Amino acid sequence: MGLAGDNSGPALECRSVERRFGGIVALNGIDMRIERGEIFGLVGPNGCGKTTLVNAITGFYPPQRGSIVLNGRDITGLAPHYVATLGVARTFQNLALFNGMSVLDNIMLGRHVHMKPGVIRTALYWWLARSDEIAHRAVVEDVIDFLQLESVRDELVDGIPIGLKKRVELARALAAEPSVLVLDEPMAGMNQEEKEYMARFILDARDERNVTVLLIEHHMDVITGICDRMLALNYGAMIGTGIPADVVADPRVVEAYIGGAHAAR
Amino acid sequence: MFFRQAGIFHINYAADRALFPIPADRWMVGTLLALAATAPLFMNTLYLSSYMLPWLVWTAGALGLNLVLGWAGQFHLGYAAVMGIGAYAAVHGVRHGIPWEIAVILGGLTASVIGIGFAFAALRVKGLYLALSTLALQFVMDWTISHVPAISGGTQATLQAPDIRLLGWPVTSDAGLYYVALVWCLLVTTFMLNLRRTALGRALVAVREKDYAAAVIGVNSFYYKLVAFATSSFIAGVTGAILVNTFYHAVTPEQFSVDVSIQALAMVIVGGLGSIIGSYFGAGFILLMPGAMNTFISWAAAQFGLSLGIETLAHLPQALYGALIIGFLLVEPLGLGKIYNNVRDYLLVWPFGYVKK
Repeated sequence: MGLAGDNSGPALECRSVERRFGGIVALNGIDMRIERGEIFGLVGPNGCGKTTLVNAITGFYPPQRGSIVLNGRDITGLAPHYVATLGVARTFQNLALFNGMSVLDNIMLGRHVHMKPGVIRTALYWWLARSDEIAHRAVVEDVIDFLQLESVRDELVDGIPIGLKKRVELARALAAEPSVLVLDEPMAGMNQEEKEYMARFILDARDERNVTVLLIEHHMDVITGICDRMLALNYGAMIGTGIPADVVADPRVVEAYIGGAHAAR
Repeated sequence: MFFRQAGIFHINYAADRALFPIPADRWMVGTLLALAATAPLFMNTLYLSSYMLPWLVWTAGALGLNLVLGWAGQFHLGYAAVMGIGAYAAVHGVRHGIPWEIAVILGGLTASVIGIGFAFAALRVKGLYLALSTLALQFVMDWTISHVPAISGGTQATLQAPDIRLLGWPVTSDAGLYYVALVWCLLVTTFMLNLRRTALGRALVAVREKDYAAAVIGVNSFYYKLVAFATSSFIAGVTGAILVNTFYHAVTPEQFSVDVSIQALAMVIVGGLGSIIGSYFGAGFILLMPGAMNTFISWAAAQFGLSLGIETLAHLPQALYGALIIGFLLVEPLGLGKIYNNVRDYLLVWPFGYVKK
């Protein structure tokens, strides 16, 4: 990534991030350090602040205290679209594709940060835009190939099944060639086979496309299966971080998730 | 069958993104272009200058509004005011000795600058509130134009539009004026067609569909809304100037009043949001249907020997015209453009309807 700064330190770091909504403390002193090339899991019961943390990182809800550092650069409080240009891509828990456009155009939008859209370029398409469009199309076709979306390339995105929509959203995020990819419950509502596919795509994305992944997921088998390290949240506070096998064995995490150590016995 | 796709293989991305990849479409567009270019030869001047010409100019106008409404998804109820700004600026420009073509472009730029200035304030709100603030633009402009004598020439005044001189050549014949309108309409159409396949058009659709998702892929919603308003205002301004120069030959504030804004909105909605061919249909429908209805009612009354009163003759066509708009929108809320697309989709595979798409 040409836009990224320092490539030696961690890819993404949250330093005592705090976010309040009125009297509610949604995030309370979160410290998170994601190393380059890691798949980092983020878990916790509903309402514990996972999505709020992601929104703090991507600029939707800037933290009131603490800082967020991307590739050695402080991105605290930057506007979401600017954070995107610095190399953070994300998918949404509830799909956020652009209806009325084809799958191809949706993924092409992922290239937006690398393109130079403009009125004059549009008016003089043949001279000023065509070669650029074609160059970016080639990158997009590569992503389509990677995620096996060839068969739905020209379909309207409104009409394809939900499993494919999730994949298109991942494709759109990957097309941006981000340094950090944030996936907010990419496997919600999927069956076992679709989950396995998605897990494989995430691993491949890390290995072949050099992205660092922050993965929010409720499926513990996925977290323990593909994450290098993880962080568990409860009521906006950190209750455990480290290697997944250790974290999920932590009594506090068990209590937060299942409700009391007696239930896990 | 008519729009046969079988056997069309794209071997590069440029061909895949051609404007009309299907030969049948290319033939159709070519034929229509040839007919449009030769229209002055076979069409009587009455039809040429009172139907074809306003239809083309208004299509360009509707396309400009469609850019804001159909692509960027932002309400605009002050479109006629923006056209008025362009018209007045161009007329004053020519009266001050600026060459016609430069004055028209200046008219567009003036409209664009005022449009951006206004959008800066208006775009802080969304949806219906934006609709209301654009309506405010309409009223402010109406007031300014009619109350500033330097612009309108005084209340109730009509400013004569100077004759067109294109690159020094006077254009006064009906055919000449028609060609000016045709070329402008084609330029706007080409721009809109290109918008469907460039990063700018995609960014605008992203802003329309989900602004938070647009932000997350790096699209600055506010900036692209401004770009949409600026471009649309430029198109509106030039269209207003051309409308005044080729059709009205004079400019008065009433030509750009609030009901004209509503009419432009009706063209876009009846034609179909985000549809280019729909803007042609919509402009044609809104402009020509009242007259056609009138003729039809009189003809039908004569056929059946009914003697309709003056009142009925005046109001019945209006009522039928309204009913037709409602009827079309009930059948297809996405407008006439979508109806055309449905027919085309059907013909794509006819008579093998069991083949999907």
